[in-house]
Amino acid sequence: MSDFFNFDTLSLHAGQTVDKEFGARATPIYQTTSYVFPDTDTASSIFNLERGGHAYSRITNPTVGVLEQRIAALEGGSAAVCTSSGMAATFCAITAILSQGDHIVASSQMYGGNISLMKNTLPRFGITATFVDPTDTDGFRNAIQDNTRLIYGELIGNPGLDILDLEAIAAIGAEHHVPFMVDATFNTPYLCRCFDYGANITIHSVTKWMGGHGTAVGGVVVDGGNFDWGATDKYPTITEPYAPFQGINLWEEFGPSAFATRIRAEAMRDFGPSMAPMNAFLLLQGIETLSLRMEKHRSNTEKMLEYLSNHDRVSWVSHPSMPSHSSHELAKKYLPKGAGSILSFGVKGGRDAGKAFIENVELASHLANVGDAKTLIIHPATTTHSRIDAEALVAAGITEDMIRLSVGLEDVRDIQADFETGFRAAKKVSGA
Amino acid sequence: MYFEVNGKQAFATTGGKVFNNQLPTVIFLHGSGLDHTFWGLQSRFFAFRRYSVLVLDYPGHTNSEGPPLASIEDIADWVHDVVEVLDVNNISLVAHSQGCLVALEYASRYKDRLKSVSFIASGLATPVNDALIDAAENNPEAAIAMMLSWGFGPAGHLHQGPIPGNSMLAGGRKVMRGNVPNELATDLRACNAYQNGKQAAAAIDCPRQVILAGKDRMAPRKAGMELVEHLNEPELHIIEESGHMVPQEAPDQCRTLLRDFIFSHNPA
Repeated sequence: MSDFFNFDTLSLHAGQTVDKEFGARATPIYQTTSYVFPDTDTASSIFNLERGGHAYSRITNPTVGVLEQRIAALEGGSAAVCTSSGMAATFCAITAILSQGDHIVASSQMYGGNISLMKNTLPRFGITATFVDPTDTDGFRNAIQDNTRLIYGELIGNPGLDILDLEAIAAIGAEHHVPFMVDATFNTPYLCRCFDYGANITIHSVTKWMGGHGTAVGGVVVDGGNFDWGATDKYPTITEPYAPFQGINLWEEFGPSAFATRIRAEAMRDFGPSMAPMNAFLLLQGIETLSLRMEKHRSNTEKMLEYLSNHDRVSWVSHPSMPSHSSHELAKKYLPKGAGSILSFGVKGGRDAGKAFIENVELASHLANVGDAKTLIIHPATTTHSRIDAEALVAAGITEDMIRLSVGLEDVRDIQADFETGFRAAKKVSGA
Repeated sequence: MYFEVNGKQAFATTGGKVFNNQLPTVIFLHGSGLDHTFWGLQSRFFAFRRYSVLVLDYPGHTNSEGPPLASIEDIADWVHDVVEVLDVNNISLVAHSQGCLVALEYASRYKDRLKSVSFIASGLATPVNDALIDAAENNPEAAIAMMLSWGFGPAGHLHQGPIPGNSMLAGGRKVMRGNVPNELATDLRACNAYQNGKQAAAAIDCPRQVILAGKDRMAPRKAGMELVEHLNEPELHIIEESGHMVPQEAPDQCRTLLRDFIFSHNPA
């Protein structure tokens, strides 16, 4: 019989070797730029990827390394690379394998930053994207071109909350030798380990539920280690000699962690979006309680859904756990422990009523973030998704009256009391 | 590097340098169900210090064409065929676990080009229980879990590792998933059937080194000491904190021991 540690234990211990000099139980914050080499041979061998070790904190750092190994352990990935933000993780992951002339098939229902990156920014560098309704699995297959090198989506789409059919889309990727990269920010590995369903790479904004306290911005790329880069000639950055490291062939040398090694060797070195050690420490504190927090997020979300569904000032409520949601069956399959703590709803009275609601709640914070311990609300059409055009707004499932709620960990009775204040203000504006 | 052996495609990494058979060569032999990636934290070191390196995938494993070979003796013969095809001279063999049984056979029978042999985490034999062989054939995920669980020591179980950000445990699982069910089951049966360890050990006359692990549950110290006893006073080292996967769990200590031994007995 095997005796591997389980999720909650890994959340607390994975990746950490107790400090031998002082016995510090918490992971120390190695707030240093660089590391003293014992001799020239050690120095050169670290630079040449002959051995593990730290040379400069833009590339690796011991505190960040603990976070990386902890997240890899929780996800079931072979390796992880932390970055300064979730967007940096997405950019580093894409550019590790895509070059000028390459193409992405992406879900149309994603965080506005992801859409803007693929629609406005990457095309300047010759990388284009086709956006597909996340509920249209065949659409992913139909959008694949000869130059497609990546399928990308969010498991729980932001903010429409449609669920990707992971197994079906992974099968399409495997059929075409194209990796399937999933932004798993909204689910975290506690709710779904995407590699178990065939995804090849995951991205997280660890700023959100993983950290969970709204204190540190960060991102991570996790290499599932389950994509056969050598089965095709489509990925020369992984399978061809890499000049800066004396012609190393990453696929041959590193196998299941070749993709992560490319990010480490190129993106962290040449672009430099490193995570600060202090941020890694804060995020580690959050991950220690990930399962506890996610359970409370789930129970509070269930209570808020019931409350909002029965409220006479609410025109509609949407969450994948609701039978009325188009992704309900997929949510049951991929997210049996809960479909996340984001929900959306409309306030009767339209845009002005919604504005009055947001401006009159006090406990719920009006800001551009999700996954905090505290309850957060925002109007996506005028904020997080304001930089995408009207057509893309529709494709993303965003309506003018939509309010996105990130359910926090407060006593749910206090959240509901706060909402009553907001609804009274909305009623005054709408006059109904 | 791909090359042909007995009409079939074979694969070895060369540590990031072009293979040159005029240099002394370190040949790395992996354990059951694994492949060349197991040796990444040793192989590049030698490749960039005036050695040629061959990190083999046995037939049927990862990049080498199958089928997998059914006995330890057959794998040793295949290694010899590789040596002949590539005309390798001045060889230092470095072996782990099942690879050590292959090294015992090879070193006892093919002596003329061999300068040294290093045995890591092994005894004279590797008895495998029927339940594990059955799992390898019929429930590979369970077999992989058992082997990784027994194979890694405390640090491995916490997904620690010498390469920042990498999980040794998960990486091992990915590699083994590519070598089941047939390759792993064949490897385990070959290990279980091998009986010639004592005779082979006694016949080895080149410089020899044994590296054991204090927390090894796959090849416990007692079994390793039997190998030491029959090898006739090899250089012995025990890395107390490591589990069975020494080259990954204690890569720096392992590499230092290999370096000192190979530099001494097969200088570049």
